[in-house]
Amino acid sequence: MSFIEIQCGDVLASVVFIIEGELQEIPQADAIQSHIVTCAACSAEIEHERLMQQMLQDVLKRTCDEQAPEDLHQSIHQQLRAQMAGAGATEVVTQFSMTEISIEIDEFGNVEHREIQIEQTHIQHFIDDED
Amino acid sequence: MTSKDLVLESAADRTIRFERDALVFTNQLYAAALRYTKNPEDARDLVQDTYLKAFASFHQFEEGTNLRAWLYRVLTTTFINTYRKGQRQPQIANNELEDWQVAQAQSHTSDQGKSAEQEALENLPDSDIKRALHEIPEEFRIVVYLADVEGFSYKEIAEIVGAPAGTVMSRLHRGRKQLREKLSSYAKELGYTTDSPAAKSSQSKKKGGAE
Repeated sequence: MSFIEIQCGDVLASVVFIIEGELQEIPQADAIQSHIVTCAACSAEIEHERLMQQMLQDVLKRTCDEQAPEDLHQSIHQQLRAQMAGAGATEVVTQFSMTEISIEIDEFGNVEHREIQIEQTHIQHFIDDED
Repeated sequence: MTSKDLVLESAADRTIRFERDALVFTNQLYAAALRYTKNPEDARDLVQDTYLKAFASFHQFEEGTNLRAWLYRVLTTTFINTYRKGQRQPQIANNELEDWQVAQAQSHTSDQGKSAEQEALENLPDSDIKRALHEIPEEFRIVVYLADVEGFSYKEIAEIVGAPAGTVMSRLHRGRKQLREKLSSYAKELGYTTDSPAAKSSQSKKKGGAE
């Protein structure tokens, strides 16, 4: 069926592709496929690999199911809120302040001193992530 | 509505969306972080850092794409860049096989070997499964975890760990193999399996029994 002669060793070496259902990813896919059909030892091996893989996945899933501690959930929530507050305060504050001083001296020598304070504060917000 | 309201609303909305969509994975990420770092304190810090980093670049995340895979990418790169520094790691050989042939040619497993392996997996307690995972090299542990616990495809894993797909397949193969070898040897040490030919007949008896 194929020009490439496939040995059992070649099939076993690519067993991970077969198990993952990705045999088509390798160049010898067709030759390997036809070898498996005719070789009882290889097809038994692959069946064993499938079973072992399923069992391995089952024990790993069962084992690795730890729950995060309750205070970790709380702490993540609080830190995200803090980060959000920081993001909301991206602003440029421009403060402008001027004092106008006028001094008048009349003919009697009286000094009239006036000061006018002018203040302006401008707050500009920036959305730094939406451009 | 003033510009100030707009900004605050946007940040708040984004936070709400992030919390709603991303925080459901906290337990999963924590379990992964425990396997990555091997201890609860580092696992905690790693998960926290992961969420803060993910949140800071959440605007770059494309809605509708796989958020879980993206979070695992942040988790994995944060771990590789930060937590493993200073840790002594078992190194894997440099000559990784990266072409289609991910493993050296090997011979068929004997029936005896097959049933011994099966018994090991059936009988070992969780603590030994974790021990075996912790003992295999980090590069293997990460891909085996992502594939076999989280169910990511090897192409997704390539994205998550930032390695070529062929490398991922090779690590997956070698990692699972090492893991199974470790489990078999623990089982032998603990007397869960025997090397006697009786192992084969006990396996065929089991097949008839109800699960």
